[in-house]
Amino acid sequence: MNPDPFAALGLPARPDLSDEQVRAAWRSIAAATHPDRPDGGDLARYTAASAAYAQLRTSWARSEAYADLIEQAEPDTSPLPPVPADVWPTPVPPWQPLITAAQVPARIRRGRPLRLLIRGAVAAALSLVVLHLIPGTAAAPADVFGLTWWFVLTGRKDLAPPPER
Amino acid sequence: MSAWSWLKLRVCLWLLRKTATVTRWLLLAAVVLVAWPVTLIAVIEYAAAWLRGWPAIRLFRTAAWALPVTAVWLIIVEVRVPGWRSAALIPGRAWGHGFHHLGGAGLAHTLALLVPVAIPAGLALAGLAWAWRTYAVTAGVGGWTASAPIIFDTRQWKRQVRTAKGLNKAPGAVPLLARGGRIPVGGTIRHIGHDWRPVFSLPAAVSGRHVVVVGATGSGKTNLMIRQWAGWFTAALQAARAGRGNRPLLIVLDCKGGRDARSKADRTRRLLYGAGARRVAIWPDEARLCLWDLPAHDLAVLLYQMIDTGTGAAAYYADILQAVLDLAVLAPCGAPVNTAAFLDRLEAKWLQRAWGDGRHPAELARARAAGRHLPDIQLRYATLLGRLGPALDGPGSLAEADAWYCILEGTSEPSVAEAQAMALTELAARAATAPDAEPRVMLLAADDYSAVARRVPVSNLYERGRSLGIGVQVSAQTWQGLGRDDDERYRIAATADGGVFVLRTPYPEPLTLLAGHRRVLDTAHKLVGNIWADEGTTRIQRAPVADPDLIRHLEVGQACYIQGGAATFVQVARPKASPLTLLPAPAGGPVVQVPEARREPDPMPPTWPQGPASLDDAFGPGGTR
Repeated sequence: MNPDPFAALGLPARPDLSDEQVRAAWRSIAAATHPDRPDGGDLARYTAASAAYAQLRTSWARSEAYADLIEQAEPDTSPLPPVPADVWPTPVPPWQPLITAAQVPARIRRGRPLRLLIRGAVAAALSLVVLHLIPGTAAAPADVFGLTWWFVLTGRKDLAPPPER
Repeated sequence: MSAWSWLKLRVCLWLLRKTATVTRWLLLAAVVLVAWPVTLIAVIEYAAAWLRGWPAIRLFRTAAWALPVTAVWLIIVEVRVPGWRSAALIPGRAWGHGFHHLGGAGLAHTLALLVPVAIPAGLALAGLAWAWRTYAVTAGVGGWTASAPIIFDTRQWKRQVRTAKGLNKAPGAVPLLARGGRIPVGGTIRHIGHDWRPVFSLPAAVSGRHVVVVGATGSGKTNLMIRQWAGWFTAALQAARAGRGNRPLLIVLDCKGGRDARSKADRTRRLLYGAGARRVAIWPDEARLCLWDLPAHDLAVLLYQMIDTGTGAAAYYADILQAVLDLAVLAPCGAPVNTAAFLDRLEAKWLQRAWGDGRHPAELARARAAGRHLPDIQLRYATLLGRLGPALDGPGSLAEADAWYCILEGTSEPSVAEAQAMALTELAARAATAPDAEPRVMLLAADDYSAVARRVPVSNLYERGRSLGIGVQVSAQTWQGLGRDDDERYRIAATADGGVFVLRTPYPEPLTLLAGHRRVLDTAHKLVGNIWADEGTTRIQRAPVADPDLIRHLEVGQACYIQGGAATFVQVARPKASPLTLLPAPAGGPVVQVPEARREPDPMPPTWPQGPASLDDAFGPGGTR
């Protein structure tokens, strides 16, 4: 399996390449390296380009290859030797809720912070508008609560999942 | 009655009908205008449901989630002005006050005052309106043209897909494991019979039972299966950590092999490490297993089954083969410890020496009788075991890792892969039943099992798994790939109590039959010219719960989950472990075990141990003399 099929075709590693772009890249490399050329071509490069083309031919395959590249760029997780049975599994500590709370900033950072910021800004702005429009009424704190409630319920999916999930 | 009178009567009746209709619409418009805050919310939510392909249930649930706001508002009102009568009057006063200030600020002021009541009411109203619209169009009583149901369905499907894809992109929407030990699969596109949830998920226990996945190459089957494996592993690991179960052991048989398999193995391993696994072994590239660790009887049966024996006249040789194997493996000195030792035993001299202790005359006679067949049998096994390579020659056992990804070259070497599959399933069975081994909760997943299913039918695998308490997941590219004949295929599909995932496949009908049929309304209209007249008929018809044509046209990554007479279409999310981890980064280390030299036991029959030179050796100093 080619570790970087985009590089083999001389293309930027992007998931939104079109079929034509991929095909054109492969054709240009194939024309220059085909073994039937008078100069003998470059069999290794031709083979690599053909394999990469087969890997990137469809848009789905390109997005998968791109995702694979992104995953490979993350810290390497090479195999471990066996762990003694008495070391694992570690029980859940009683202070787990505190750990979960402490993870929230990291989950925001590794999630979609911009979207979360926009949501928060919208909720805050609307809360200010409500407090300005109907100060002192019973509906004002209820509206602010509603906006906070909306932010909490809809913002959860913009956080990265906790480590145990 | 004269013609003129009849004409007048008809006109009057027509006018009465039209007046009633207009009055009804005017009344509705008046109510809509008067209750404008509720109407505004309802219109916005109705439009959102239409644009995003939401089902009506989503609007009802959102209305329920908005009720805490109403509750908070009621509590505040009650604290300020005790008595529920005042709470009931406040919205009326605010609404009446709004009509005196019809400017932008006045309307905003009124809306803000009424939000705690208007939002749940508007959402519920939008839900009712959307449910009616969906019902009317699908039943054929709504829409302007005869093709309205088809256009509506097609358009809504596209919107539902877009919404599901959008949901899958949210980092926290589709984790490997959701609350309550459920394994999320991806955004729900459409549900028929199942409970609707924005993200379709399965209880981990379901994934640990028998699941069938059918989908053509490139339909997204791998993503779906890897997600299931990682989700199951995470759930089982958490249960073990909480003391509610045993450690998980995942065994994946990638029966197609090839370069793709290595890539899939790497992905699975990365994901499982992210999920908390401490060792994921890739067989045969990086780890070994030992076939010879099996109990002697099981080993003899397995070795017999690994060889193609044929039927008819060949059965005679099969019996000889089995007899020789029993003699070689069940010898008094114990089972062979490796391939070389086993091949050594397939010699007349060895067998006669092993059984020639005087206490096994029948076995010795059989060993002598089989003498002339032994070179052939030895040659066959030397060839088979040579082709299998050293990966099954040990040392190593399934218990040494949290997960095993076994790559079988079912495409390039089908006969070898079949033998390997048999050996691996036998080792899995041994791991599940060994009395001295640590109990593990196990899932055996066979990807593209049809590549090796000739010798071990999937139904056998299922029954074996069920009897041993092992969950079995099997994937095939087509309905035909599930088994040799329809009987076997139906048996496999019908016993998949964990459900059936069908991805894009050219012949989904037999699988969709499992979901059964549902009753739908079929309305016929009388046409006058090109438009619908007032008359028509409606009948109850039966339609498949899982539409085979819809499945045939599924895009890559879309699946239909069939279980319990219901179906859910889902956009499978690419599995990804949480970017955060509490576990230390795995350090590098050797996985390929260097085989240790194992000594073959002496074929000589065990002799009675000679007495100790002194009784002190037996009873210790000071013992009875």
